[in-house]
Amino acid sequence: MACKQWLPAALRQSGLLTSPAAASPLASTSRLFTTTPPSFQSDNSSSSSSSSSSSSSPIYNRTSQSQSSSQSTSSSGTPRIMNRNPLDTLRTILSSSAPANAYGANSPEDIASISQGNGAGGLTKQTLGDMKKLHTTEAYLRHAPRRWRFGDVYAPKDLSPTEQKKFKRVSAPKEDMVDMLGFNPIDNYKNFTMISEFMTPFGRIKHSKETGLRPVNQRKMAKAIRRAIGLGIHPSVHRHPEILMAKKFNTTN
Amino acid sequence: MATRSVSPGGALLRSSRLFSLPAPLPPPSNPHANTRWNSDTMTTPYPTHQVITTVSTSRKNGDWGLKRPLPLRSTTKSTVAMLRVKAIDTMDQITDYSSGADHGITLLKFQELGLPIVTRDANAAKERANLHTPDAPQKSVFEDDIDFTAIGDMKERAELIDKRWKFQGPWLAGMQNGEFQKYIEKQVRPRRAQFRMFLRQKLAEEMNADAKAKAMDAGDEEPNPIRPKDISEEQLTNYLRRLRESNSTLFQMVSQFLDLAPLKPPNVVVDNLDRQGVKVDVSSNPYAENGPPRTHPSAGLSYLRTKNYIDNHPIYGPQEQIKPVVARLVKPRRQMGGIETPKFGIAGIISDVPLGDVRSNQKFSGSKNQISVDNLEVEVPGGPKMWVLPNRANIDSEGKILLKATLPKLEVELVAKELIGEGEGIFGKEREADTVKSSEPALARRQYSKPAFSSAKGYGVR
Repeated sequence: MACKQWLPAALRQSGLLTSPAAASPLASTSRLFTTTPPSFQSDNSSSSSSSSSSSSSPIYNRTSQSQSSSQSTSSSGTPRIMNRNPLDTLRTILSSSAPANAYGANSPEDIASISQGNGAGGLTKQTLGDMKKLHTTEAYLRHAPRRWRFGDVYAPKDLSPTEQKKFKRVSAPKEDMVDMLGFNPIDNYKNFTMISEFMTPFGRIKHSKETGLRPVNQRKMAKAIRRAIGLGIHPSVHRHPEILMAKKFNTTN
Repeated sequence: MATRSVSPGGALLRSSRLFSLPAPLPPPSNPHANTRWNSDTMTTPYPTHQVITTVSTSRKNGDWGLKRPLPLRSTTKSTVAMLRVKAIDTMDQITDYSSGADHGITLLKFQELGLPIVTRDANAAKERANLHTPDAPQKSVFEDDIDFTAIGDMKERAELIDKRWKFQGPWLAGMQNGEFQKYIEKQVRPRRAQFRMFLRQKLAEEMNADAKAKAMDAGDEEPNPIRPKDISEEQLTNYLRRLRESNSTLFQMVSQFLDLAPLKPPNVVVDNLDRQGVKVDVSSNPYAENGPPRTHPSAGLSYLRTKNYIDNHPIYGPQEQIKPVVARLVKPRRQMGGIETPKFGIAGIISDVPLGDVRSNQKFSGSKNQISVDNLEVEVPGGPKMWVLPNRANIDSEGKILLKATLPKLEVELVAKELIGEGEGIFGKEREADTVKSSEPALARRQYSKPAFSSAKGYGVR
């Protein structure tokens, strides 16, 4: 999943998805591709500049602007494999049978720079090897989703697929979170992060078998949700816009 | 000798498994309990049940010293005879047991490390020596001045507050809000009258000491001591008001009354208050900052007092560092939200392996001794491993083993490799054991004979 998030940026930076002419501000900072995630500064520069120019504009305006700006950058260049799934793109690149054009290099100079492995954002052998390794790692770790903490004890069975599969399944929390934190949900009807947590994206109140709350707290939580929606301070059909914002711009942490 | 003879039945009971199995410990708090991804069957951070074993001849007959013989099919396949008995007898007339090898083997592996369990150094944080400092002083949990439980009355308990590890009350900093509210309601509120009596005693002591000092100054005789009963309600109310003025005195009274585990605010807070000229009584109890342990601070894992011993090598003589061990890369560094640090397992425990400007973290150093922590290297049979030097072990308040390691010197690593027949030896000699290496392809084949996913290519196999 992490790969999906920053892979497009990485590919763009390494000059895979845009021609050198279109991506001149990005490609000018020729950085060697590493497996450390790139900072999103160059990626977000267009959207942030547009948002700073219209800082008072509402959220939907801002997002539409950033979308249009990203579209304009891609449309200004020659049509590439941009529209495809980035993982598919990566697979195409990694397969040895893929033609040289799959690198996104049309002109002979581009191909030459790739084969030499020293152009601005050109693909070195090491880069390809890194990406292949990353792809393999992602493939394996998809089946080992457990997040280990310091002090966890593991036996061979904990590394087995049967055990790891259990960490893939979503189940209700084992403890009543409201009791654990000792707060009254009804008093917190304005807390939209809490409200959103106990609603589906379609606006339905989650069942207690999903929330893990005991009946008394489930009723209180449901009341808080109904109250928030009734007061008009929380959307009834989708997530709260501020949460969507945070997700979009990855400012949650 | 006049010993009381025990009846044959009594002697049998005394030596039986039935009586030697202790009651299970309370289960560890599952860190995943409040998340939506959890497992009921994962290995717990500490064992709750006694692990029992039996000799191989008895094991063949299913005889584990329990009420009935255990099924052979499920108890004889394992290499090690280790079982955990949850119930000797149930309503369905069966013995409830499961394998105890997970914690049993972990204990053996831990003992092989040769590490003592040490306390957190109380002053370490003050000196800005954080947990990653390998050279921070280590104090065994078995030192006489911090390891005792025979404590007398309340007064003695209060005096020894900075030395003890066992307390009747909880460690407030480790409680969730809900838990704290329940504690106040169930345990603290009913003891109000008792606390007022306790305060009367304190006030009487204070007043007596004052009166005595005054009388001595004036050269008078010692006045009659005031009894707690003689203190009027008004005096007590005034005393309460005075106490409310000074938080720290009141907290001392409360914690003495409830025998709370000592607290230590974070250093940032203490430093800030210090700068503002506010005096804070910082407890020097080693368990004040991170909570008292659940059991004896050694948890029975190791009875060593120190790791300052020297390993002797049959050829090279005494070694500078103790024997390094191999750490398994359980999970490489990932980017999920934030950066998830790579997780290494030492002796079956997810441990803290140094990161930063060290060998294990230098990506392009090109040394063949190092492994990549960014990716899984699936070509390596058994997974990538790294030689580390276990350095420090302690048990946290949740019963988890916190193990820290450093990297060994290259020579030490070489010697350790040579001892198990890996590597070429220090003087570049060819080993006779090289003939054994023919087993490696077989191992690799076994590893990859069953691809776990659709395409072998995706897993770097072909």
